[in-house]
Amino acid sequence: MIPLLAFTRFEVGRLLRSWKFLVVTVGFPVVFYMLFLGDRSPNKVVDGVLPWRSYLLVSMCSFGALVASLTAGGARLSAERASGWSRQLRVTPIASWSYVVTKVAATMLVVLPVLVLVEAVGVGFGGVHLGAGMWFELSGLLWLSSLPFAFLGVFIGLLVHAETAFPVVTALMFALGYFGGLFVPVASMPHALQVVAHLLPSFHNTALGISLLAGRPPAISHSLVLLGYGAALALLLLIVHRREESRALG
Amino acid sequence: MSSSERGLAGIETHMLAAPEIDRPGHDPSGKPVPTSELALRFSGVGHRYGSRVALDHLDIAVPRGETVALLGPNGAGKSTAIALLLGLRKPHAGKVEVLGTTPRRAVAQGRVGAMLQTGSGSGLPPGVRVEAVLRLVQRLYRHPAPFDATVERAGIGEFLGRQTQRLSGGQAQRVRFAIAIAGDPELVFLDEPTAAMDVSGRRAFWRMIRTYGEEGRTIVFATHHLEEADQNAGRVVVVNHGRVVADGPGATLKAAVVARRVRFVCKRPDRELLDSLEGVTDVRVNGTGVVIDSLDADATVQALVQRRVGFKDLEVTGAGLEDAFIALTGAEPNHLAEDR
Repeated sequence: MIPLLAFTRFEVGRLLRSWKFLVVTVGFPVVFYMLFLGDRSPNKVVDGVLPWRSYLLVSMCSFGALVASLTAGGARLSAERASGWSRQLRVTPIASWSYVVTKVAATMLVVLPVLVLVEAVGVGFGGVHLGAGMWFELSGLLWLSSLPFAFLGVFIGLLVHAETAFPVVTALMFALGYFGGLFVPVASMPHALQVVAHLLPSFHNTALGISLLAGRPPAISHSLVLLGYGAALALLLLIVHRREESRALG
Repeated sequence: MSSSERGLAGIETHMLAAPEIDRPGHDPSGKPVPTSELALRFSGVGHRYGSRVALDHLDIAVPRGETVALLGPNGAGKSTAIALLLGLRKPHAGKVEVLGTTPRRAVAQGRVGAMLQTGSGSGLPPGVRVEAVLRLVQRLYRHPAPFDATVERAGIGEFLGRQTQRLSGGQAQRVRFAIAIAGDPELVFLDEPTAAMDVSGRRAFWRMIRTYGEEGRTIVFATHHLEEADQNAGRVVVVNHGRVVADGPGATLKAAVVARRVRFVCKRPDRELLDSLEGVTDVRVNGTGVVIDSLDADATVQALVQRRVGFKDLEVTGAGLEDAFIALTGAEPNHLAEDR
């Protein structure tokens, strides 16, 4: 257990010390929050449930979790594979699965502070006021439901080549953000796009947070879709990890 | 030694069967080595990539405490052999034993360290200081070597605080050596460890390796430089086409192995390109003059044409008795030996 913890701490430290990582993962959701907040009156109730300032905050928290996950895995991971470091680890005593587990764990651990930072901007800039308990619940809920994002980031990092990882990650980030209704409320999208939104994990992640703030019971479909994505991506991770193992010689 | 007859074109079999050159599984004095004292053993190991045969009935036994070079041209099967020893690949035939157990178990027990080939990469994770990487690797082992001792041995004290992506090629190589020995392994594998190092860097690196070997560890390194194998290993195992073609003390082999010497004049010799050509075991460049030692002169010359090396005055000679004598007595002029 100690090697695994040491390895996770090492990875978290690397991520949090990278200013590029922090600028991208905190910068995107924060800047978007400030930009989109002016799209409509902050107090206008959106989707019949929440004022825009809170609605957008939940969306940007999800977006932050998404960006952090894809950036933590994605291009960083595939560059690391190309450098030969992941292969070097395979000739140390730690089991080969610990590499994947550590990457997912480290991603989840950096998503948490990103959520808190975006929320702080929601309070300071957007004037969103919630009780301490509600903040806690919201963060916990959004955090847990971003596990599929963490799987996705590591999956891309293991699957894609270093040169193609960056564009793939960027495209996915904005596709999941836009089509998942994080930039524009789903209710004001054309019908066809609404159907697409309901198929994406980013939509269901946000929807859970919005239900919580609106004080209404979340639809069971949100959790089911996220669980489905989580299970499918975990399986895909296992498959690419196996493939990676058999290609050990590079 | 029927296994020796095929591998090396152009070498008389009697040269390989000279008394000094020993059969795999025996130490140079000829007496069998008990299994428990072996650091590693290949018994009839075969491996292929698709239809391409990488190892063909490989037999090697290395007693503990030896420093052994695996010498052979690119594609001879050296890296495959090391990948098998580390459990990164499984043999398709035969058996590989490391420290009396399976390779995977020996690695999991932390008794093995390795420096692998990294291609164009540094082999280190970017965005972190050298010290953090080394401390991490240490924590992955149950009984690591003391941190300061590892730093000292690898000579990386000066750049412990530097970010890994700011290291020079030679510095990164040293850090990777530190990683290989951080767990205080009984057995260390080095796969072409000095690729991409300059001459003085190489010399310093090998001095470090020799010192480490003198402390009683078993070291196995792969190289395609005859000189490197000869100068740094007590025993040289020559591998070609996935087989052991010769096995013995460096100087003896050197005499047998330099099959052909290819000389030519070239306007701008690209040492790295020449070094990578098929069959090449050594390249010496002196201004526009190039001398290549090759295990397969036909293939080397063909490769010269294919890679459009603009050569003239080409001359292929057998490395005859004179060369053997020079090699045995170590009387080779220094500027030749060191101008690499």
